Amino acid sequence: MSDDNSSTRRGPLGRLYHGETAIDFYGRRHYGFIVSGALVVITAISLFFSGLELGIDFEGGVAWQVPASPTLDSEVARSVVAQNGVEMANAKVQTLKSGELESIRIQVGDQSSEVRSAVQAALAVAAGVDINEVSVSSVSSSWGRTITEKGVRALVVFLILVSLYIAWRFEWRMALAAIMAMLHDVLISSGIYSLFGLEVTPATVVAFLTILGFSLYDTIVVFDKVKDNMERFSASRTGIADIVNVSMNQVLMRSLNTSLAAVLPVISLLAVGSGVFGAVALREFAVALLVGLLIGSYSSIFVASPLLTVFKERESHFRNLRGLHASGAELEHMVVTGNATGSKKVRRQTEVDTGSSQASPVAPGSPLTHPPRPRKKRRR
Amino acid sequence: MTRRRLAITLLGLVVVVLGSLAGNIVAGNVPSLGLDLRGGVSVTQEPVGEFDSESLDLAVERIRERVDSLGVAEPEIIRQGDAIVVNLPGVDNQDDAIELVKVTGEVLLRPVLLAQVVDGLDPTTNGVSTTVAQTPTTTVAQTPSTTDAQTPTTTVAQTPSPTDSSTTLPGGPARPITASSVADSTPTTTTASGLSTTTASGLSTTTASGLSTTTAVTETGGPPGTEAPSAEAPEPTGIPDPSDRAATVLAQNADGTEYYQLGPAFATGEVFKGDARADIIGGGWGVRITLRDGATGADLWNLGASRCFVKDTSCPTGRMAIVLDGVVQSAPSVNQPSFTGGVDITGSFAESEAKQLARVLRSGALPVRLQVQAVQAVSPTLGGDSLRAAVISGLIGVGLVLLFMLLYYRSLAVVLIIGLVVSGALQWSVISLLSRTNGLALSLAGVTGIIVSVGVTVDSYVVFFEKLKDELKVGRTLRNSAERGFTSAWRTILAADTVSLLAAATLWWLSVGSVRGFAFFLGLSTLCDLIIAWFFTRPTMLLLARSNFAVGRRILGIGKSVLTPGGSA
Repeated sequence: MSDDNSSTRRGPLGRLYHGETAIDFYGRRHYGFIVSGALVVITAISLFFSGLELGIDFEGGVAWQVPASPTLDSEVARSVVAQNGVEMANAKVQTLKSGELESIRIQVGDQSSEVRSAVQAALAVAAGVDINEVSVSSVSSSWGRTITEKGVRALVVFLILVSLYIAWRFEWRMALAAIMAMLHDVLISSGIYSLFGLEVTPATVVAFLTILGFSLYDTIVVFDKVKDNMERFSASRTGIADIVNVSMNQVLMRSLNTSLAAVLPVISLLAVGSGVFGAVALREFAVALLVGLLIGSYSSIFVASPLLTVFKERESHFRNLRGLHASGAELEHMVVTGNATGSKKVRRQTEVDTGSSQASPVAPGSPLTHPPRPRKKRRR
Repeated sequence: MTRRRLAITLLGLVVVVLGSLAGNIVAGNVPSLGLDLRGGVSVTQEPVGEFDSESLDLAVERIRERVDSLGVAEPEIIRQGDAIVVNLPGVDNQDDAIELVKVTGEVLLRPVLLAQVVDGLDPTTNGVSTTVAQTPTTTVAQTPSTTDAQTPTTTVAQTPSPTDSSTTLPGGPARPITASSVADSTPTTTTASGLSTTTASGLSTTTASGLSTTTAVTETGGPPGTEAPSAEAPEPTGIPDPSDRAATVLAQNADGTEYYQLGPAFATGEVFKGDARADIIGGGWGVRITLRDGATGADLWNLGASRCFVKDTSCPTGRMAIVLDGVVQSAPSVNQPSFTGGVDITGSFAESEAKQLARVLRSGALPVRLQVQAVQAVSPTLGGDSLRAAVISGLIGVGLVLLFMLLYYRSLAVVLIIGLVVSGALQWSVISLLSRTNGLALSLAGVTGIIVSVGVTVDSYVVFFEKLKDELKVGRTLRNSAERGFTSAWRTILAADTVSLLAAATLWWLSVGSVRGFAFFLGLSTLCDLIIAWFFTRPTMLLLARSNFAVGRRILGIGKSVLTPGGSA
């Protein structure tokens, strides 16, 4: 215990800095599950009732963007478009601010090119600008479908490949946990988009894919540590909860650093890029990235690893150690030394505390290392 | 790993990176920017219905020719699966762009009313005498009988059922093409802008006004056939849209040496089977092709051929033009009134010309029907703003990250910063090179990919540094820790990067549009990350750990308190 003294004197930030935290993630796993569960339920409700607002790239349609002028505001624009015989019931008219420039974007369903050009010309006249200042985008609905289908297919293939890879490189339980955490990220990200009525554009999809990659990447780094520690602790009688807890604490600083390193440019993109310069295209990216990164960082800590613990606990090797896990000083000792056997005293203490309340197959306070072999108990 | 080998590795990488950077700078290669960053128009087309891939290749080629003829700077013509994406930076009128890229493999057979070798005369005036200005050098003739005895004709395996789906019509022979599948609902040929640049101005003015009416029909994308009847109806206007087969149109040949006034098409390339091939016929290069049987094949062809042979008013010159996308490929005179089975086109062809004509006829036999699926226009100011904002805010963001790393890892972060610079130089070189050679363009999605890659690269370092600290903490020497730390960090980095590469590869193969661009840059930056980790970080750190410079310094941001207990182990 004596070598722990120096670190226990540090403040929480200092311990974080020196990688000596002892946060009992396992013991608090229910908070993560409850929060995630609630978010998933909210997402499901929101998706069911309001759905996702898909951009024209996925549903097909036409969008005009015209610089706003004293003669043209969104109401005028709306009527100009309607005068050309365009069905305006589902039309979306937005005012976009880009720096000092303000522009109006009108988005409607699929139109013939004749109507497209006519509206473009009419808008240019109404705004008093050159016709080339009015930009038009159009996507046929069949192409929109193709894009969506291809995207979904690519995603499914990707999921299968990644699962196989993780199952081969690590083990299938880790693959399951990682994929579930990733799906959780996608679901909640889309839930946020649905809830706030943000439009899903190809930029959003690209950003989300980035996040998926990042979330997986993050999770894999944690799992790599878990695998490492499973080998290291395999000789000692250490539960999966402890192993995951230790691993989490050991890589916590890495996770935080990485997340920060990823989030900083995105925040800069959002604040400087779209805030100061007012680049609209950037905002789409940045918002999706930010949402995804935050959820990704959260899920690799509070979803993926706890899920792995839950799965692993059912394994025969760890089943008997369920419910046993170290916390506080003992956990800290394990984190710092990477060694399970260093502090028997504390260990025994905690086992008395926790073991008696939970039905453990091993008698409280027993120094046994291999619970399935009761004969040894007698001999000892 | 000896010190020398590490040094050589490090030196090798630095030389390679600096060399490629310098090479690119000397060669003037810079990353070219995508549409969303510089403004322009992007048109995506996809074939509908049946087509073969040769026709699609030909269509891509045709588009490229037309785009090149306009002199658009750095156009990007990409095939994504079956879709053809044409990016035209700097073009701000999207109607021009659409007209430019709309091609079909549709081959029309039209009687030549009038031919005029270019000599500065305005070909549009009707005052030109009706005599043919130039004796046609090409002829069509029956394959087996007349021209050439040497050919063992493959002709006519008298299968009764025509393979073409658009058979029906018992139609009056006067109405040339009734095949409904060739309706105008597919994006057709026209080229307002294409023509206007290459032809006499008299031509362009006549065609231009007709465009708005035709495009309305052509690109709404209804199912083929629905609008066929309107194509049948005689157009009240006399505007010669080259794709309107009922109209009399003006056209020129591929090298612009001859102008033609062409009558209504009496058939399409679909009268032929797709077996056209270039061959030596009667001592010179020619094209041999087989007619389809029945009402949609030989009958249609013979109807036209017989008229041209007798030079009646519908075909006064006796020549029949083979027209692809408004360009006359060949205008042979007809040597006999009726054909069975094979047709030979002979004349003063070079081998390459014959092969090209055979290709055109093959694709004309089963033309690809492209449909405009998406049009995207970005105004140059908007694009430029996005780029400036992305670059500035990206740099600020990266600066913040580096600042944070400096605070956290102290002097170790210098290695990280140099690594990032090397990585950046490497990526810049690759992107510049690919911009030049493969027409790669850096899009907003790509810029995002790169910004994210900064995160990934930084993370590789963080993983390594954290492992290094772990090793030091349990009391190993710096040198030992660096080696062990890298070995285990490399395993982690490899596993995580493999997942990123899997993602990039899957998205690259299976998706379309901006996602694909993103996938490319993700893959590229992940590869760079691996290269930097192995060839830069490893030798640098291992050498540093051995040198006297690092020993005894608190370079790692690790408190003494941790180092002391087992510091000398």
